[in-house]
Amino acid sequence: MNRAQPAAVNPLRDPAALTRSTAFLLALVVLWPLLVVAEFKPGALFDPQNLKTTGSFLAGFLPPETGAEFLSHLVRATLETLAIATAGIALALLIGIPLALLSTRVLAVAEIGPGPGLRRSQFIHYGLRALLTVLRGVPELVWALLFVRVFGLGPAAGVLALALTYGGMLAKVYAEILESGESRPARAILEAGGSRLQALLYGLLPGSAQELTSYTVYRWECAVRASVVMGFVGAGGLGQLMDQAMRMFNGGEASTILLTFLALVLAADALSGFLRQWVGRAGTDGRVAGVSGGGYVMALCASLSVLASFSYLNLGFGELFSSESLRLMVGFLVSFFPPELAVGWLSRVGYGVIETLAISAVGTLLAVLGGLIFALPASGRYGLLAGQASRFVLNALRSVPELVWATLTVLSVGLGPFAGVLALALHTTGVLGRLFAESLQNAPAAPRDALLDAGARPGAAFLYGTLPEVTPQLLAYSLYRWEMNIRMAAILGFVGAGGLGQLLYFELSLFRYAEASTVIAAMLLLSIAVDATSAALRRRLA
Amino acid sequence: MSCNLEQISLTHSNGFTALAGVSLSLHAGERIAVIGPSGAGKTTLLRLLGAAVRPSTGGIELLGKNPWSLPVTELRRLRSRIGVVHQAPPLPQRQRVVTAVLAGRLGQWPLWKSIASLLYPLDLAGAQAALERLELGDRLFDRCDRISGGQLQRVGIARVLYQQPDLVLADEPVSALDPTLAQQAIRVLLADAEARGATLVASLHAVDLALAEFPRVLGLKDGRIVFDLPAQAVTDQLLHDLYAAESAELPTLSKEPRFSAHSVEAEAVLRGARCR
Repeated sequence: MNRAQPAAVNPLRDPAALTRSTAFLLALVVLWPLLVVAEFKPGALFDPQNLKTTGSFLAGFLPPETGAEFLSHLVRATLETLAIATAGIALALLIGIPLALLSTRVLAVAEIGPGPGLRRSQFIHYGLRALLTVLRGVPELVWALLFVRVFGLGPAAGVLALALTYGGMLAKVYAEILESGESRPARAILEAGGSRLQALLYGLLPGSAQELTSYTVYRWECAVRASVVMGFVGAGGLGQLMDQAMRMFNGGEASTILLTFLALVLAADALSGFLRQWVGRAGTDGRVAGVSGGGYVMALCASLSVLASFSYLNLGFGELFSSESLRLMVGFLVSFFPPELAVGWLSRVGYGVIETLAISAVGTLLAVLGGLIFALPASGRYGLLAGQASRFVLNALRSVPELVWATLTVLSVGLGPFAGVLALALHTTGVLGRLFAESLQNAPAAPRDALLDAGARPGAAFLYGTLPEVTPQLLAYSLYRWEMNIRMAAILGFVGAGGLGQLLYFELSLFRYAEASTVIAAMLLLSIAVDATSAALRRRLA
Repeated sequence: MSCNLEQISLTHSNGFTALAGVSLSLHAGERIAVIGPSGAGKTTLLRLLGAAVRPSTGGIELLGKNPWSLPVTELRRLRSRIGVVHQAPPLPQRQRVVTAVLAGRLGQWPLWKSIASLLYPLDLAGAQAALERLELGDRLFDRCDRISGGQLQRVGIARVLYQQPDLVLADEPVSALDPTLAQQAIRVLLADAEARGATLVASLHAVDLALAEFPRVLGLKDGRIVFDLPAQAVTDQLLHDLYAAESAELPTLSKEPRFSAHSVEAEAVLRGARCR
């Protein structure tokens, strides 16, 4: 065999080296300005003044407040939080289901043929998609902040905010689920003269009911987390109590509330996990025709808890939608137009967008590192005790919402984007650590074991045997979390942690609605851009 | 530097006895083929010799040491002197061939070197040399999931060549290769062991390959050693008794089972293309 021997001509070199070093340098070049914009100064953590403030506040954490009066407040606030989440989801369903039905193309009879009314149908379809984008593109906390100004302090603003944002999300995801399944049964019913609703009930639901229910339960779990922080903008629940405790530097109350967060989030997690498992099993028993007895019981429980939530919150929607408050609402809405478009203001908003991106990027990057550090013991490779301990830390980190972390980090490093970076990093470390640990546990063991059997150190065996197997998944999780963190970084400013949120909060408190309107538009655009980018990325990676 | 097994038995946790009362003595530099029907305990025997499983009863001595009485670092050092060629090479899909080969010396490298080599392969020439002996020199920078099953199996062999262990254990090392390549690969392993004075134990499905290439042949059945003889002393009768339960015909190279169906054709195509 007479093969060319490139090795003999020039010395052997790794062809990937150039790409790798370029990528590394590029990453440094990008990272540097990000760190500058995010005001990344770890030194601020150890500033004596900050240390003293944080120290004395944290010292107050022990013992947690257990006074009877405070506890009764706490119980009421916890119930209110749960009620806000449940009532919010119920209203979101009311908004989301019809919108999902109308925007699902598989259910459009005009698409067949194409038949008459195609233009109208497509017009409705794209119009609704745009409406949904606006509904879910504006973060729920911004909606809440706006509603508080119309309806006053209290849970009503929180419920409505959840209803709008989650309505938009549910409609979008429902439509996606419905369209991703087998579409021919629905089509056959439409072709046989059936209506949109009939095609849904007989053609689409049988295949997708499980996934729809499961997603709804998951959304409820998210709503619980979201309603925990609603109180920071005055929309009721535990957040309001936390806000008060923080303002008065009452460490004992804060630690009791944080423990309640932990319990609440873990309980919601467990309940949601149980319900989704139950939904997954439902229908596997072939002998039951139609909805099983358990299904009726579950539906009854759900309806009862929705009713209980509304009666507990006592929202008085009648008054909310009286002609007086409607007039107020319209007037409020009008004051946002036209948005302020002066060049100076636009450049400030532009900088806010960059700052938001920087906060999210640096925060996520730190969380990836932290997640890896905790995932190793959490996946059980340093013994049972280390595993349990690190899993507890991860649970605690992720059970405290980003916004609550931000109120704490603002105390320890001062107002500004760096506090936001830390808050995102802390919460996301908890989330990513858990996901990373799961992937590490599921990674094939053979490559690592083979290296261990050949005398490799555990660290080296991990780097050469396990890491290459899990890298794509870790990367996918990190990108997904970064996407969520961009949205989150946009509102962390409500408690003073930089980014677009700080601008919005400031302008709203000065009643400068035209300026605020520009910031909200920027948030919306940012959210749309993130959506489009991640969709494109996903398509490429798939 | 010899290895000794003394009345070794191994019973798995599910109650299945993989090996029963096996005694075996290997001298340094010996080259031995292990043959026998599926489920005879060939893989278990190799895993025992690789200090990867602990025997239930009996005494074991590898390269002059009892692995299960050594402290952790000593055991690690011993294992780094034992190289295993796996039937299905346990290589991460996204790892590059060069990294997979260099990983053979992780047991000898300090940790800093293992990490540095991930950033830039530190011994390109060494990896290249090992691969070239198996005619894979041009695959150095390919990813492991972009090469055929037969090539992957040879990458696994190249890793052990690069490791340069004192005891080489090969578990069906050529099961995915066509007859010509299989013979070639076995000869590379034998020549390498001979040149370095290393001991080689290979389990093989192809009886003809074992008899033609190895001086000593071990017949294993139902977890027991049926015969342990020089190759020329192995009679047809012995072989037919050994494989009695399986079929009337003896497994040979051309009737070798493949663990990857497409690899044979892929190999042929690639080799054809190269010769043209």
